[in-house]
Amino acid sequence: MMAYWPHLLLLGLVAVLFVWERFKPQAVAQLEESCLIGLMFLITAVSFGQVVARYGFNTGWSAALEFTTLAFSWLILLGMSYGIRAGTHLGVDILLKALPAPVMRYVAAFGAFAGLLYGLILLDASWMSYLGVDTRSGAIEYWQKMYKINIGTEELRWPVWVQETFDVKDRVQRWLVLIMLPVGLALLSFRSLQAMIQILTGQRDMVIASHEAEELVEENKGALKELD
Amino acid sequence: MEALILFGLVLGLLFLGVPVGLSLGLSSILFIALFSNDSLSSVAISLFGVGQHYTLLAIPFFILASAYMSTGGVAKRLIRFAIAAVGHFRGGLAMSSVLACMLFAALSGSSPATVVAIGTIAIAGMRQMGYSKDFAAGIIANAGTLGILIPPSIVMVVYAASVDVSVGRMFLAGVIPGILAGLMLMLAIYIVARIKNLPAGEWKGFGELAAGGKEAFWGLFLVVIIMGGIYGGVFTPTEAAAVAAVYSAFIAVFIYRDMGPLKETPWVTAEDGIEGRIGFNGVVYFLSFWMVFMIISFFIFADSDSMTFGQRALIGLILGAALGGWYMTWRGEGGVAALPKYIGRGVPILIRNLATMGRMFFPALMGKESRNVTMDATRTTVMLMFIIANALLFAHTLSAERIPQLITEWMLSVGFNWFTFLILLNVILLIGGQFMEPSGLLLIVAPVVFPIAMELGIDPIHLGIIMVVNMEIGMITPPIGLNLFVTSGITGMSLARVVKAAAPFVGVLFIFLILVTYVPWISTALPTAIMGPEIVTQ
Repeated sequence: MMAYWPHLLLLGLVAVLFVWERFKPQAVAQLEESCLIGLMFLITAVSFGQVVARYGFNTGWSAALEFTTLAFSWLILLGMSYGIRAGTHLGVDILLKALPAPVMRYVAAFGAFAGLLYGLILLDASWMSYLGVDTRSGAIEYWQKMYKINIGTEELRWPVWVQETFDVKDRVQRWLVLIMLPVGLALLSFRSLQAMIQILTGQRDMVIASHEAEELVEENKGALKELD
Repeated sequence: MEALILFGLVLGLLFLGVPVGLSLGLSSILFIALFSNDSLSSVAISLFGVGQHYTLLAIPFFILASAYMSTGGVAKRLIRFAIAAVGHFRGGLAMSSVLACMLFAALSGSSPATVVAIGTIAIAGMRQMGYSKDFAAGIIANAGTLGILIPPSIVMVVYAASVDVSVGRMFLAGVIPGILAGLMLMLAIYIVARIKNLPAGEWKGFGELAAGGKEAFWGLFLVVIIMGGIYGGVFTPTEAAAVAAVYSAFIAVFIYRDMGPLKETPWVTAEDGIEGRIGFNGVVYFLSFWMVFMIISFFIFADSDSMTFGQRALIGLILGAALGGWYMTWRGEGGVAALPKYIGRGVPILIRNLATMGRMFFPALMGKESRNVTMDATRTTVMLMFIIANALLFAHTLSAERIPQLITEWMLSVGFNWFTFLILLNVILLIGGQFMEPSGLLLIVAPVVFPIAMELGIDPIHLGIIMVVNMEIGMITPPIGLNLFVTSGITGMSLARVVKAAAPFVGVLFIFLILVTYVPWISTALPTAIMGPEIVTQ
């Protein structure tokens, strides 16, 4: 049972999010967006700052590149679940729209189910052996391995005060950086499950957006309608 | 056989309404779990690793720049400039719309954003001048697709990253085709205008052209920063994109002031009077010229020692002072003797504005409007990157199963040559472009066709441009043409009517596609001329 503590932690995280969202849906949504914006801002600010420092002052932060690419990874991983919740993932809806409503609901729910499947397989594929598929491992196992060997990243270092206060090694631990991988996948699974239930109970039509400009068109809908 | 299962899975999931990224990713994962010995840990790690592609890091920056450039009045300024430039021809307003779309495409790189920003203004304008609504909508829908061809273009970044060619080359390669496509559309408009006797605007003179150009300048300078930075050998494309993102935000919030806390604050108020205005303009021209001169000369002389920073600064100062002085004596009264008076009036206004900008810096940065624009950009980034991540996973699975090689061998054995291969490529992409987001489709198709193309001696840059032009046409052909939806959305016309309206100009783009496909020179001339011949490595 001890080997399953990361699974339990992730489950706990999802449970906390679920309960919190029950009482403060606005706050959770706000937090989610703020995290994404914050990452975007950090990537831009550090990259731009690095350009200025390099070409303007001939100096720079040696870990800037690693920092920005890691933050970019975090943005992508955290964004997966946000995309499901906000319904921004692109998809083809021709068939869905052609189906009669009751059938469409089940097909659309399958779209969300695919997200759940994707997340659960990548988190830990060992459950698939119950279905007779010979495969194992996944994100959690890899993360656990990193946690055990506790190696650092290449360039990224803790500031001195953190090193002193928490008595850690100078380089940021790789498991800490990688933690977004299982967390992102767990959130994706959670949001997909949520979306599936919402679709089945009729609170939501589908998980996908049919094209990337849906919102833009909605804002400008019929802007020129009166002309003819 | 296994290849068929993989492709079948993707298509099946796609049509069942599974998001594009998930269709690609889930198919790959299931395929690996069922047929291969690869560990799923490595798959999960590759998902994390997408962010580690330095080239792809340019994408969020370009999206951010595009989001800020799409706010408010940039489109209006570009249209004014375009009308001043080509409005006096027969059918001039329609031609100006095409030109405005090309300019906007260079700034934003997003087709739907181009259609909305230019379309909402230009279609109404054309309607007033007596053009039919269908004609106007058809033009905008088509010209809007130039967004992915004229650099900077996200699709090109994706192509460059997936087949490992230089982003700089791809951007350069897009310049001539982009201009050519625009000219072909304008020519078609001119012919239609002659036949239908459409109205011509009046030539408002070089003064209007200069005034329009001045307004549009700060927007268009973005292109100079990106292209100049890359080709001057100063920036990597990713760095150029980061600078572009910050620059766009700065221009939108502080210079154009279309959004944010300075929205209602003009640079010069009525109380400053005419003298203040002239003085302020003169001082600003001087400083702007100096700044622009410094940036451009930095790009040009960055690598050489023939000119020092001090020399450049001095030359820029003298030229800028001459320009500012000339303006003030030209506009003001009293000749050179009155210069101190005007400067004395202008400098305090400039200082006042700089102080306001300084005070408003953090409110603008954290403000609601900036937050919304950034959130839009983030949303698009996240959506696109998820597709790209999974498409890379899919492409990896394909090559792990040696599927591209199998297809290459098969095609060569059947006797495809470069001519027939390119026809097949066009057909596949045109069909695929109906259903798939351009970057996703590109990432799937590129690894499969790239080895074949290399085998047949096709230039990788040329191949990339062909693919991009195909994606463009995919956006304006039913059933799933993005620009058709957007145009139909803003005009309130039915989809069928938009399709019909766009059809004649789609014909023009088809001719353009054939040209681009069979005349490699169009794509390769400029990159070869500037960056030297391509070295193909496999």
